Amino acid sequence: MDAAAVPVRSPRRFRFVAAQELGLVLVVILLAAVLSLYGWYDASPGRPNLFLSFDNLIDGIATPMSYYAIMAVGLTLVIITGGIDISVGAIMALAALGGAAALQALPPDAPAMLVLPVAILVPTGIGLLCGLVNGGLIVGLSLHPFIVTLGTMSVFRGLANVLPAEKTLPAAGKHLPAAFTTDFMRLEIMGMQLMPLAIMLICVALGWFYLRLMVAGRETYAVGGNEEAARFSGLGVGAIKLRTYAIAGLAAGVAGMVSLGRFGTASTSTGSGYELTVIAAAVVGGASLQGGRGTAIGALLGTLVIALIENGILILRLAQEYRLVIIGLAIIVAVSLDRLSGCLGRRRSAPLPAAPPPPPVTPGPETRS
Amino acid sequence: MSAPFIQFRGITKTFGGVTALDEVSFGIARGECHGLMGENGAGKSTLGNVLAGIHKPDAGELLIDGVPHRFGSPRAALAAGVAMVHQELAFCPDLSIAENLCMGHYPRRWGGLLLDRDAMRRHAGQLLAEIGVVLDVERPMGGLSTAQEQLVQIAAAVGNTPRILVFDEPTSSLSEPEAQALFALIEALKRRGLTMIYVSHRMPELFRLCDQVSVLRDGRYVGSLARERMTPDAVVRMMIGRSLETHAPRHLAAPAGEVVLRVRGLASPGRFQDVSFDVRAGEIVGFAGLVGAGRSEVATAIFGLDSRVTGQVGLDGAPFPLRSIKAAMGVGIGLVPEDRKRQGCVPGMPCRANISLAILGRLRRLGMLNFTRERQLARRYFDRLQVKAASLDAPVNSLSGGNQQKIVLAKWLARGGRLLIVDEPTRGVDVGAKAAIHALLDDLAREGLAILLISSELPEVIALSTRVLVMRQGRIVGELPHADATQDAVLRLMAGVGRAACGIRKKV
Repeated sequence: MDAAAVPVRSPRRFRFVAAQELGLVLVVILLAAVLSLYGWYDASPGRPNLFLSFDNLIDGIATPMSYYAIMAVGLTLVIITGGIDISVGAIMALAALGGAAALQALPPDAPAMLVLPVAILVPTGIGLLCGLVNGGLIVGLSLHPFIVTLGTMSVFRGLANVLPAEKTLPAAGKHLPAAFTTDFMRLEIMGMQLMPLAIMLICVALGWFYLRLMVAGRETYAVGGNEEAARFSGLGVGAIKLRTYAIAGLAAGVAGMVSLGRFGTASTSTGSGYELTVIAAAVVGGASLQGGRGTAIGALLGTLVIALIENGILILRLAQEYRLVIIGLAIIVAVSLDRLSGCLGRRRSAPLPAAPPPPPVTPGPETRS
Repeated sequence: MSAPFIQFRGITKTFGGVTALDEVSFGIARGECHGLMGENGAGKSTLGNVLAGIHKPDAGELLIDGVPHRFGSPRAALAAGVAMVHQELAFCPDLSIAENLCMGHYPRRWGGLLLDRDAMRRHAGQLLAEIGVVLDVERPMGGLSTAQEQLVQIAAAVGNTPRILVFDEPTSSLSEPEAQALFALIEALKRRGLTMIYVSHRMPELFRLCDQVSVLRDGRYVGSLARERMTPDAVVRMMIGRSLETHAPRHLAAPAGEVVLRVRGLASPGRFQDVSFDVRAGEIVGFAGLVGAGRSEVATAIFGLDSRVTGQVGLDGAPFPLRSIKAAMGVGIGLVPEDRKRQGCVPGMPCRANISLAILGRLRRLGMLNFTRERQLARRYFDRLQVKAASLDAPVNSLSGGNQQKIVLAKWLARGGRLLIVDEPTRGVDVGAKAAIHALLDDLAREGLAILLISSELPEVIALSTRVLVMRQGRIVGELPHADATQDAVLRLMAGVGRAACGIRKKV
């Protein structure tokens, strides 16, 4: 009948980049193009392009952004549920210090078989535990996530200050096993350290898989889109939230592990202030603080935009003092543009064609079936 | 009727795809109390809101005293002398009555630096005295009863010395004595020469207060009746525009089956008590009652959403635990809730995701969502319910109210089950979708589903239900089989008063 004539679009199950993310891709391309041109113009003859060189792309952009992007994926899940987690920087520090404390007990030349499980499980375990604490408090006491994670941020950072014997681990004279640092996280492939980049991409892929293909992801969007309707549909809202904060903690643990392996040390100030950049990255990436919106790819692209701006300040030799000002303004501009395009999109689709006269209600044979 | 005081000319207003007002044109004389009637969704509140500047009409002209107006905000309407007393009262509960009353024009001293508390108290006291109300203006707004809040709102509205005062369903949450007091106040205001628009669907009130009643149906102006021609028959005919029982529901012909839902001694402190009833397979059991009588509360309690409920519930003869949605859903109960936007659907998600929301567990394969099955399912219910949407992927909030409701219904049909509770299934739904939803419920009952129907629209409950249960003040006060369920009989039970007080004498 009438309704059957409505065109059904073919399933776009594997649409990697949504329309909203297309805008971010354009911004990234634009920034990269400007920096490439400048880098080429600015480079002295015979020297490589300042921007378009593997040194800059990997060590200057990909590696530093990996911590942010990994955490931004986890935080995006939290933001989709309509929550927030500002303790991720502190969790990252606790995870890195915990990992360092465990690894410095091993001999520097311990075999990878022994080192890697410890190096991976200890920081991620600590991150997961912290995330469960956050989620448990938020769900169990039904407190606002901002307040809870404001508290746990302080608690986790405080523990990071108190628990280790020294401000920086490994302690003086000790070293982390090379199996984790030089031979794993700083492993050179064709002269490039690709491990942080690879781990970041794996995390984004897992986040995409979770949100896009798994039932758990659908539940995440439902809770954020309308928590009460989700409850009225029989979803276990508490469990879904708990799971989400646990994943955000886990992601912060992974970021701590990457940072520990790359620098070979962790200090009480590791990850300090990262939470703000991570929130900014998620929001620039299209996550809505009202909940219900956000993607893993968006989190990656949002982080990339911020990383490119940071890198651009170096390449263009702008005064470093203005770094924070520029980044702050860029975040506000990015979110306003996103909002604006959203409004325009709605306006375009607003004037619906006048509804056709309702069909006479004579329950036909097909409605009876 | 030469040069009416207020003149609507071709007022049109649409929300999304739904036309709320369609070229409405009529006039209102100076100094009269003019009733606006219509069924839910007929557009009467929307017209009141257009007059008060809350909605901006898409087309048409509004003349007050011959001067054309096009209000962009309530403030602009107020400047032109139109004030409104809203259905939902908006105040700051933590501020005092005086602070709420003077909001927007606080008296100041010391060159505007300090709030002049004494002047504020005096001014607030004057505003209340103006309408003959005595209240301590220091009391916080949050501690007042609904009726008192409404009085404060009227005081604020009258304090702006309006020429026109719009009331939108003012008695919807008032008790009978409170309503009587309000009527006395409205009559006093009328004697002062204010022109009043009274939006309501309650006939006795309108007959008592109004000099003239205009009826809207499906967003269109149907006609006006002067006081001497106002009879329940005439008004109802104009409101409904057809005889009530055009489609006799067909499920009534089939004998009811086994008892599906059995409720015994259900009680929840402060909400309802001693509620016992059965719903059989193939039956539609209607719940009638005034707002606040406890109908929706019983429905949500059966669905496991009331943490303080006690009593026994059983499905197909087997008891199931209360206070758990999982248990209720597990035995096959579904709930189409009263508040579609807040409880029924996730507005930003695609239609297909809303339809599959209650069966995500069944669509799970190794943790992944089976998108193919989800689409097939959504497709099937799109066809069966004749949902009008751009595609299966269109977000629910891009649909009209009626189609949104079909999506919520589809969510429970997809899950299947034994008992479907539908709470106000046609609120804010256009006529076409309304008829479709009625036909669907009839069909479902004939297929053997047990249905519990809650609705504030009497014609709907009466026409569809196998039996009508009437609730008043948290108790079931009567049961009427379909044949005996007349408007008159149901209204009498609802109000708990005699024949005369109802103002309706016979079935329409």
